[in-house]
Amino acid sequence: MNWLSDNINLLALIAAVVIVVLTVLVAGKYIKQMKTDRSTGELAKENWDGIGEYKNELPSGWAYTFLGAMIWGLWYFAIGYPVNGYSQIGEYNEEVAVHTKMFESKWANADRQTLQEMGEGIYLVQCAPCHGIAGDGMDAKAADLTVWGSAAGVLDTIKNGSKGLGYPMGEMPAGLLDGDSAKRVASYVANGMKGEKPAEFAACAGCHGVDGKGMGGMAPDLTKYGTPSFVADVLNRGKKGYIGTMVSFKGRLTPIQEKAVGTYILSLSRGE
Amino acid sequence: MFHWLEKRPFFFAVGVFLVIAFAGLIEIIPDFAQASRPVVGTKPYTVLQLAGRHVYIKDSCNACHSQLIRPFKSETDRYGPYSLSGEYAYDRPFLWGSKRTGPDLMRVGEYRTTDWHENHMWEPSSVVPGSIMPAYKHMFTQNADIETAYAEALTVKKVFNVPYDKPGMPKLGEWEEAKKQAMEEARKIASEMKNQDVKDAVANGEIPEIVALIAYLNSLR
Repeated sequence: MNWLSDNINLLALIAAVVIVVLTVLVAGKYIKQMKTDRSTGELAKENWDGIGEYKNELPSGWAYTFLGAMIWGLWYFAIGYPVNGYSQIGEYNEEVAVHTKMFESKWANADRQTLQEMGEGIYLVQCAPCHGIAGDGMDAKAADLTVWGSAAGVLDTIKNGSKGLGYPMGEMPAGLLDGDSAKRVASYVANGMKGEKPAEFAACAGCHGVDGKGMGGMAPDLTKYGTPSFVADVLNRGKKGYIGTMVSFKGRLTPIQEKAVGTYILSLSRGE
Repeated sequence: MFHWLEKRPFFFAVGVFLVIAFAGLIEIIPDFAQASRPVVGTKPYTVLQLAGRHVYIKDSCNACHSQLIRPFKSETDRYGPYSLSGEYAYDRPFLWGSKRTGPDLMRVGEYRTTDWHENHMWEPSSVVPGSIMPAYKHMFTQNADIETAYAEALTVKKVFNVPYDKPGMPKLGEWEEAKKQAMEEARKIASEMKNQDVKDAVANGEIPEIVALIAYLNSLR
């Protein structure tokens, strides 16, 4: 009797026995009643093909239940529904509020590994349709994210220019620098603008400022290039790239999710 | 009276219908009248978008794609804010769909672009590996039916008072104007596309179905 150690099975067995016993008892009572009962009372006027109807009083239990149901119906109509009105939208809003609060507190200090995994999930749903599952831009159908954030990515931008993120400085022309000078600037920018500044950076300083910080929001802040916050900036602004348009994801992702996507995208070019 | 009704099944049925219908009507009509008003920002389709909508219907996109985002977190996370009834005010017929073989398209204009649609309609698996959606290459050669789209727009304007030509709403005007305007929209979309045949066709004053369809898909927000 091993299967009886499971309490669900035990309960089901008890219930089955109770149902059988009750069925036998109730059926027996009515069968006996049918054998002995005689009909009494006054017949109603109507007669349907020989079948008549007794003018019996309503059974009191039935009548009180009906009355109760009517009172409940009035209460529900006047107070129950309007005051405690349930709505699907209300339930949705509550569900989202609870989830948002839990999400924020749970992942407020997520480590890089967690963010990267979260970012991968978001990336596969929101970004992969254009940038490809591997992030390679699918034969130049979109920006190649496997180089973005590295010196090769900067080089790419210098070579092709950028139609920009909608900063006041506008479009960046293609081919501002070439050859070794472009490479020197690229590695300088990709390394977070640390170390010795190459002289050729002057070509960038016109828009991005001497310190590369974008002159207070006139152009993208290059010191942030290759960080999740730069990715978040692109997500919020959308982009008119040299390949096509990237839509803005403003309001579609929470700040934590943006950071996660940024962390994941950077892991692509850094082979982490 | 009840004895009278009990003997007359027809009138009894009429009575039952009236009682049930009354309960339904007082619940449905006031809410429906309110909810079916256009949401602020909802606009009727331009002629080119309407032509694209006809392509969408003709090729049965709605057999696999819904246009209705339900208020569940899993849906709003993926497709954007849930749908409101007023957003369908100018949809005749609405294209809610009943089956999602592919994703919902209610707000596809928010997160897909002209060039993505171009790649995708030409060869879906080139951008979505494993996609079972068929290619729609014929849309790149067949021309969209702008005349019918204009006729529909004019009809709904006259019969249902759809607010074309009102301030802040799409212009419809006479056929010649409408045609010129549709061409202009088509040129803008073709300039973002890469298929040379489509570009040439638009330059020659034709509007391939793909251009109209993309105009329609981009308008879904």
